[in-house]
Amino acid sequence: MTTTAGLPREVMGAMDARLSMPYTLTAGAATGVFLAELAQQRIVGTRCSACETIRVPAQDFCGDCGGDAHDLVIVPPSGDLLAWTVTDQGTVALVLLDGTDIPFLHQVVEGDPAALSMGARVTAVWAAEPQGAVMDLMGFALAPSEPVHAVEEAGETATPIEQLNYQMVLDYQHAYGHFYGSLFDGIKNDRRIRGVRCPSCRNVLVPPRAYCEACFVRTGDWVDVPDTGVLQACSVVHIEFIGQRVPPPYVYAEIVLDGTSTRLIHTVGGLSAEALRSGSVHPGSRVQAVWSDRRTGSLSDIDFFKVIDGPADE
Amino acid sequence: MGTDMKNRAAVVGSAQTEFRGAWSDRQHVDLITQAVSQALLGTGLRMADVDFVIDSGSDFLDGRSISNCGFLGAMGAHHKEESRVEEDGLWSAVYATTKILAGSGSVGLVVAYSKSSESDPRNFWSTLAEPFTQRPVGLDQHSAAGLYAQRYLARYGIDPEALRAVSDRAWAAASDNSWVDAKHAMLADPYWEEFVATPLRRRDMARPVDGAVALVVAAEHVARQVTNRPVWITGMGSAIDQHFLAARDATSFPAAAAAAANAFRMSGASSARDFDVVEVSAGSTVGELMVLEAIGLAEPGRAMDLYAPGSAPGLNASGGSLPADVVMATGLVRLHEVASQLGGRSAHGPTGATTGLAHGAGGIGMQNHCVVTLETS
Amino acid sequence: MTQIAIVGTGQTVHSRRRLDVSQAGLAREAVTEALLDAGLGMDDIDAVVVASGPAMFGSVNQPEKWLVDALGARYKPVVRVTSGGGTGLAGALQAMNQIKAGLARRVLVVAYDKLSEGALQASISTLYDPFWGREFAVGIMGFSAAYWRARMDKLGHTEEAAAMVSVKNRKNAMLNPKAHVKKEVTVEEVLASKPLCWPIKLLDVPPISDGACAVILAAEDDAAAITDRPAWIRGMAYYSEADNGPNRSMLQSVPLKVAAARVYQNAGVTNPRRQFDVAELQEPYTCFELSYYEGLGLCPEGGAAELIASGATEMSGDIPVNPSGGCMGANPIGATALIRLAEAAMQVTGKAGAHQIGGAELALVQAGGGWANLRGVAVVGATKD
Ligand SMILES: [Zn+2]
Ligand SMILES: [Zn+2]
Repeated sequence: MTTTAGLPREVMGAMDARLSMPYTLTAGAATGVFLAELAQQRIVGTRCSACETIRVPAQDFCGDCGGDAHDLVIVPPSGDLLAWTVTDQGTVALVLLDGTDIPFLHQVVEGDPAALSMGARVTAVWAAEPQGAVMDLMGFALAPSEPVHAVEEAGETATPIEQLNYQMVLDYQHAYGHFYGSLFDGIKNDRRIRGVRCPSCRNVLVPPRAYCEACFVRTGDWVDVPDTGVLQACSVVHIEFIGQRVPPPYVYAEIVLDGTSTRLIHTVGGLSAEALRSGSVHPGSRVQAVWSDRRTGSLSDIDFFKVIDGPADE
Repeated sequence: MGTDMKNRAAVVGSAQTEFRGAWSDRQHVDLITQAVSQALLGTGLRMADVDFVIDSGSDFLDGRSISNCGFLGAMGAHHKEESRVEEDGLWSAVYATTKILAGSGSVGLVVAYSKSSESDPRNFWSTLAEPFTQRPVGLDQHSAAGLYAQRYLARYGIDPEALRAVSDRAWAAASDNSWVDAKHAMLADPYWEEFVATPLRRRDMARPVDGAVALVVAAEHVARQVTNRPVWITGMGSAIDQHFLAARDATSFPAAAAAAANAFRMSGASSARDFDVVEVSAGSTVGELMVLEAIGLAEPGRAMDLYAPGSAPGLNASGGSLPADVVMATGLVRLHEVASQLGGRSAHGPTGATTGLAHGAGGIGMQNHCVVTLETS
Repeated sequence: MTQIAIVGTGQTVHSRRRLDVSQAGLAREAVTEALLDAGLGMDDIDAVVVASGPAMFGSVNQPEKWLVDALGARYKPVVRVTSGGGTGLAGALQAMNQIKAGLARRVLVVAYDKLSEGALQASISTLYDPFWGREFAVGIMGFSAAYWRARMDKLGHTEEAAAMVSVKNRKNAMLNPKAHVKKEVTVEEVLASKPLCWPIKLLDVPPISDGACAVILAAEDDAAAITDRPAWIRGMAYYSEADNGPNRSMLQSVPLKVAAARVYQNAGVTNPRRQFDVAELQEPYTCFELSYYEGLGLCPEGGAAELIASGATEMSGDIPVNPSGGCMGANPIGATALIRLAEAAMQVTGKAGAHQIGGAELALVQAGGGWANLRGVAVVGATKD
């Protein structure tokens, strides 16, 4: 290992990462009925069994008093516009539907927002093709002559919608920063792995970082690290799951590169089906990086680690 | 509340990174270690003296689950007691102080950070909303602020243009705060005049920034050793409102009032007027007015008076959260500001101040509130 | 300093998929039962600690904000503490400190997870540093299996020994009315079950559950007034370890040992194997229970396989571990740690019903999460000291 100057030749900016995960969400009994009834162009609310407030959308419990709110009521699709705000997601509004105690948060659709006024009468606008979600009620529109209607007991209601499909997509641009930037710059351009040495405990840390966790002191010199090391731990992945990036079976590996004291997470490859099945790759095996043709500035620049001969680390 | 407080806790050190729109050449851990090491620096305490770490950050902002897990070393938490409070850092400070009062440790480190520049902060806010009926209709921090603003301004007959006094004062104060990259001249850019949620413009909204803040809380016997000017934590209170924005009070923050009442009961104060220095958090100009009224610094509908030239010199001398909202850290930044000003470690704020109040908030439309009071003896 | 007791516990019946309640409604069920157990109402509760798993599991950020309505907690102090799988215990520790500090007298801790609603392995894989191994992650299973493989060589934690954990805990779950999975298995069946991340096989893995748990803590004098059978918390601690610091030992958990040493000292425990009547340990995979035996001092290092084989940790043994069935019976991840604490309280107060260990007076609780780097320990007793 040799000490090297620590400046990267290029600034590694940010790495894009996307978290995209599917969900099946359950709204609960009362809100499930509310969502189902929108297809019939009916708005379902609940009356709290304790404080008797009527709220829309229907809730299983009362946020005012914490009571059960299981009594369903049919609320008229008309009311007074209490407030609105024009945003790039539409005009979000609070409407006090006739006969209710708690305003309903939704949108105002149709017409010029400049024509809106506090207390204006509004009425529901329905989607042509209901999807079983809150936007089956598209929102509310001005209806100056809409008379005031009354709340009715619900009687027979639709079967609650039990699950909503939801895809959450979150995009990130994670900054490399100086330490990861220097590491991945070296990996990308020079196939060179570098760590930092803690001046206190003398351990070499990969990935490099500003502070040694054990000593909480600022790290010191940059150190070149070979692409060989010891398999500290490994498992054979057979399971398949949503979002998996590497097709199974593969060997999940935690590797301590020679001269370092930290774990590098990767895979062991180049194995026969028999080797995978028998678990012949084992902790203590010596491994070496097999570099890819890709130059991405990430651990994917290494295709996998291969088992090499040599004395096992014991 | 029957408080039987045998122990006292004090802030003995605190530090922040500069707050920037984007720290694009730093990782979270870099910002965290910078704040943590600086917070310890002035105290003479070493990391080995720290008994526990309480921290605030957001999995959604960090793009990692259990994100504290990967940042433990940077926070100095290795082989220490650690807990993540996934709420504004002021709640972490309350937990740390609670542990000291409970006798569970003598020195606690409080850390909070955010790098909202790494993602669209709108996702952070919208995912706070119940996903069935609230999230799909466009509820987020901007629309919530707009709905409050319209009702507040209408009820008290205030012209939306008057709100310029609030944002101008905040950004002018931030211009004098070398730890914040916001400068008042920036507001001249038409970008800040755009309506984002009528009647509010972008200049009315808290501006998300990147940064970290750290604070050292110590028990009395340690505090007296490491500083001749301990800033005692005299009161703490928090309270949450119900989730559905539509069901909350239209023009006031009763949860903020409840939080303040709890803190005042503990400290023996009667209202926020008792404090020389007040730093509050808010997601918008109108939100800030409503907080000031809730904690008793102004009568309902009268908080605008505090923005008349020359009034309330001890209020948000740092600039507050409007020019620099470190999302998960903003309330802890307020505490850091108050403690620094009382401890004589700050370049801004009124001179001779001995008492202070810090306020933090969380949730869409500031659903959750926390108040901490401080005093130098 | 005031002593603190658990005065009420509640759990949902844990199951694969609850289509009749939302996440918030699930939490409310456990709270309702805990309040009933304590004979209290929400008006009697000074503060609430919500402890739930990583928020991305359920797609709701800071879910305590949503739960407030279901908990009837408006205008109360509500804070969420989160710490991976050990979250429930981290939440209980927060509650304890509030009471010890004199800031509250009765604190409700509620923990839940509704894992049926998300894609679990994809969610857990987001635990990884986006720069450092996320693309190879299999939730935390690949990691856990890898270090079990290492412990197999160094400590003799064989596949057979781990299979015995599965057999024992699944058998115990048969007696637990709240358990999600009630099916006995044999060692041979565990060994022959489908490899997921070898050496972890299907029957080494707990179910994926919807469930919630709530626990009410009270100050000493209050506790005596609320119930004639309080479960006294004799010690509790929760320690962490940097995930990739220098020379981190994956064979024995340092934070577990540090937490245990502190808690044992507070509780006056010098011989854990002899002094504890029962233990509830959070085993996200069978291999972890073996590891905890050693970390908690129930046997010497390298002695776990012998301990499980001896039958000592079975219901009839001298140190029964997981009479509730542990995670093998139900694993709503965010709630499992609090379930361990609740079960321990039920044991020392004689409320555990069919899975009661006769005469249990001192119970050991362990929980943890993250990269196996967040570790908590608690001791609960029938008496104050
Ligand atoms: Zn009610
Ligand atoms: Zn070191």
